[in-house]
This record gives sequence, C-alpha cells and structure tokens, in this order.
Amino acid sequence: MRNPWGWVALTAFSLLFFTFIYAPLFVIIGYSFNSNPVNMMIWEGFTFDWYTGLFGLSDRATGVGNRAAYIESTDQMLAALRTSLTVALFTTTISTVIGTATAIALARYRFRGRGAYNGFLMMPMMMPDIVLGIGLLIFFVTLGMQLSLLTIIIGHCTFLTSYVFIIVQARMAGLDPALEEASADLGASEWTTLRKVLLPQLAPGIMGGALLAFVISMDDLVITYFISGVGDTTLPVFIFGMIRRGVKPEINAIATLIILASVIIAALGLWLRSRKID
Amino acid sequence: MAPLLEIRAARRDFATPEGGKICALDGVDLDVGANEFVTLLGPSGCGKTTLLRAISGFEMLDSGTIQLGGADLTALPPFRRPVNTVFQSYALFGHITVARNVGYALEVAGVAKAQRDVEVAETLEKVGLAGMGTRRPSQLSGGQRQRVALARAIIAKPKLLLLDEPLSALDRNLRQQMQIELKNLQHRLGIAFIFVTHDQEEALTMSDRIVVMRAGAIEQIGTPRDIYRHPRNRFVAEFIGETNLFAVTVDRLEGDTALARTAEGVEVLLPADGRKAGERLTAILRPADFTIAAQGIPGTVTRAVYLGSDLHLSVAPEAGGPDISVAIRDGLGVGEGTRLHLAHDPARVHVLEDA
Repeated sequence: MRNPWGWVALTAFSLLFFTFIYAPLFVIIGYSFNSNPVNMMIWEGFTFDWYTGLFGLSDRATGVGNRAAYIESTDQMLAALRTSLTVALFTTTISTVIGTATAIALARYRFRGRGAYNGFLMMPMMMPDIVLGIGLLIFFVTLGMQLSLLTIIIGHCTFLTSYVFIIVQARMAGLDPALEEASADLGASEWTTLRKVLLPQLAPGIMGGALLAFVISMDDLVITYFISGVGDTTLPVFIFGMIRRGVKPEINAIATLIILASVIIAALGLWLRSRKID
Repeated sequence: MAPLLEIRAARRDFATPEGGKICALDGVDLDVGANEFVTLLGPSGCGKTTLLRAISGFEMLDSGTIQLGGADLTALPPFRRPVNTVFQSYALFGHITVARNVGYALEVAGVAKAQRDVEVAETLEKVGLAGMGTRRPSQLSGGQRQRVALARAIIAKPKLLLLDEPLSALDRNLRQQMQIELKNLQHRLGIAFIFVTHDQEEALTMSDRIVVMRAGAIEQIGTPRDIYRHPRNRFVAEFIGETNLFAVTVDRLEGDTALARTAEGVEVLLPADGRKAGERLTAILRPADFTIAAQGIPGTVTRAVYLGSDLHLSVAPEAGGPDISVAIRDGLGVGEGTRLHLAHDPARVHVLEDA
C-alpha cells in the first residue's frame, strides 16, 4: 500500500508550485480589467478602458494616450512595439541561420579547436546580461558606432545564436548520419542533401530555436537598455520607463496582451514539436 | 571477360585516439563478377564494413584503386558512383512518404514526376510492397522498412548493390525469408551484390562466393562449399561453422589410411596420400562428419541439445583433450552420460599443413 498522505502532500505541493508561478500572471490579467484608476488592488468594476486607452480610443486613459498628463503616447508605444518586432525578426533570422549552420558544422566536421569552439558558443548564455550589455556598449563605442537599431540587432545576435545552436545541436545529435550518406549514395550532391534531407529533418529543432530566439529578443531588457539608441526604444525598455513613473493600469493591459502573444507563440512551438518527424 | 569490380591493393589506416594507427584495409585485392553474389564475412573490426564503404565512397583509400566496369572510382565522391547501398539502419527519410523515399534517386537525377511514379510503382511491386507508397516509413514494420530500403537502392538500376548487414535487425524467421528473397531478387535483377555480414550461416546460405576477412586482410575467397570443406587456415575453419580441430602427429600408415594421434591419444584417421610417420598437422572434422559406431574414438556425452532435425552432442574423449562437437540425425537413446564410440570417414577429414 502506498501512503495516502504522500499523495496528499505531493498534490498540495504541486498546487502551491503552480499557484506560485501563475498567480502573478492572473493578478495582472485581473487588474487590467479593473476600472479603478488610482488603486488597482480595490475592485471597482469591469472595463476595457485600459485596452482601448492603449490605442488612444478612450478618454479615461491615465497614461498612454493622454498626452496632457504623461510623456508616453500611443504613437510612442506602437513605435516601441514596431522596433521590438523589427529587432526580433532580424535577430531571429540571422541567429537561426548562423546557429543552425554552426550546429551542422560542429556535428559533421572534425577540426582543431572544435571543443573550444563549442565552449565559446556556450559562453554568451552563461554570461550575466549586465556584463554582456556593458561589454557590448564599450565595444560599440570603441568602434565609434552610433547606437541604433543596428547595434541592438548585432547585440541580440551575439547571444541568441548560442540558444539556436544548442537546440539545433540537440536535434542534430539524434540524427542518424546514415541519412545523409543514403542521400549521397542515391546521387544527391551535398547541397541537395542539405536541402532535401538535412534541413527537413532538423526543421523541428530549427523552428524551436527560432521561436525561442524571437521570444528572448522581444523580451530582453537589460542588454538592450545599454545598446539601444535614443530613438530606438524597444517595448521592454518602453515599459520599464513607464513603470519608473508608477504602475499605471495601462501597463497591466500591455502585460496581458504580451502574455496572450506569448501563449500563442508557445502553443505554436509545442504544436510544431509534437508533429513528429520520423 | 573482365570482372565488374576490381579492387587492387586497397589500403586504409585509421588513427586511434591514442595516436596510434589501426589498419582497416591492408592491401586488399578483390574481383567481383557481374551478377555475382559475394559476401564479406568476418568478426567485427575485420575491415569488411570499411571495404564496403570504400566501394560506396564513404571512405577514401589511402592507396590502391577501385574500378567498376573499367571506370576508375577511386577518387569519386559517393554521389558520383554508380553503386547503391542498403544501410544497416535502413536510413529511410522519415519526413517523406515511402514512394518519395523509393523515388529519391530519380528525383535527384531530375527524372520527370510521371516517369518517376511509374518506376516507383514497379519497384515497390518487385519488393512486395505494392500500394504502400503513400505511407510514412514510421507506419511500417521492420521487415517492410527493410524492403523500402531495398527498393530505394535498386530503383536507379545500379550494376552493383552494396548491403551492409541489412538483415541484422530482423527476427530469425523474417531473416531467413529475406535471405531467400534477396537471393531471388539478385537473380531477377541480374546485378552484382556485395553483402556484409558477421553471420556465417547467412553467408553460406546466400553467397556465390564468400570473402573471409580478418584484421584488414582477406583470409580466403571461395564458394561456400570450398570455405566450409577446405578452409585455408585455423581462423577460417573456426569462423565458419562448428569445427573440431585436432593437432595430431602421424603414427603409422595402413594402406590408404594414415593413423594419427593427438598429444592426449585421440585417434584420427586421414587419407594416406604421401603422409609420413612423425608428420605434424591439424585435422579438421565438422560435427556432421561423425557417426556413432561400434568402434572409433571412445567418449562420454557431456551435453546433448535437441535441435529438431539434429541432435547436437558434446563428447568428452576418454583419452582426454577438448570435447568433440557431434551432430547426428538419429540420436534415439543417446543422452548425457551415454558412453559411445565416434567413427568418421577418413575422406571427410580436411588437413591443414601449417600446424
């Protein structure tokens, strides 16, 4: 017989664990619909005002959209979102290409310093963001580069490539080398083999790596804070700026929208992973 | 007529992690005729897989040449060699259908879709998988995957098909069935097969010729009967089938027969042909060469294994020395502890002079 109290304890622990993780998220979602503009801990009634306010459609807005009272405007927020998306799209593309190519190269070719190469690729992931951020800033300044969209993209690529590399490498490790040999044996050149066998086989890993890179790029505050130019505020940097002037209900609305977007992306990623290839 | 495949002085060394060298191919010469079924047989690490991979192009030779139908393949990359391989792991492409797997060689070669579909259907038919084209490899059984791998490798009509232990993942019954099917298929296609295995029974069943390899070198090339009845040395004798080896000294001659004895005193009869008393040699007798008789080598059965068609016995000779393996047809009344005499026909003895 199993000890029934063991089960009770395990169940209680699991519930507590998930509550601890998810409660803050649900609190924010709840707050974002609370119409009390001053103290969001006191429920006043249900409203969409903070959402409509984000896009300048409501008069009741306290922060974003209300030009008279605050610096932040809907235009600025949308510009920040656009910057974030631009950065994320470029960095995802670049780091996915480089990370995938590196994973293939390291798995299939033997060369001097291969082990060290592997180690160096892990480094940016281990490095504290703040160190990476300061390092990049000094690097760009030394080179005489103006901080801009370009520096953010370069900065993000430096560490996101490692993430993509790790994920594609895991997929690569599970791949039978005989697949590529079979392709060559049947008359396919290396390029054809890459296109018709290797990339399709790696696709789940590549997609997973790209999604992760996208999410991290969208989310990064610390590194971006150091290397973004004045006119190139990303969404996290923008929100961080807003919070410094107090947590406004609009921030809850933005957070809720970001949670929604994250859930969609995560679901997409899980779905892609579950489409078993082989 | 020149052979289809000519390998001359093939040599390949591998560096070991400790900085040493392992010679995987040590100057191998091999000819394979068109439409011949040749098996490379040997223990793991003997170089048989390296030789196969040298022919397919996945291993480049350090020295030596490989010619196929008069054309030199030695320096060509795998995708330019007109040979195809059935891989041990099958290496089917999981992301595409069975039909696209089978048609891959044609697709890569730029054959039009309509033509491809016809040939894929024909080839699937040949391996007994008609109508399975729309499935994914993951939806097939092990035996079916094996057939897909085979179909994929023969669709481009290579002159030479290489098979790398293709049956090792199948269960015994299926393996025996596939052995026969492969042999039939090879006859129908009229192409040469080079088949790698470490299973000597498989080699005996299927091959026109067997190439026995050890430590990167060829020990013996011959028909299954040759290899089994007339092994050139101890290694081949012991590797192919169960063997009884007797290190004997010729004692005396009696007409056509020479009487020889082991150090322990077990008596073996040999054909006389020019033997002299005092000569030392190795006599080889297969388990089935013995019969139970009134006279012969006296011994006691230490182990009896019933195998359906045969009864396999281990017999400890009274004189001493290693147990003798015996296979007899009708073993009624014989069991562990039975005392008996083992007789043999001197003509069945194969003699190695190198002892």
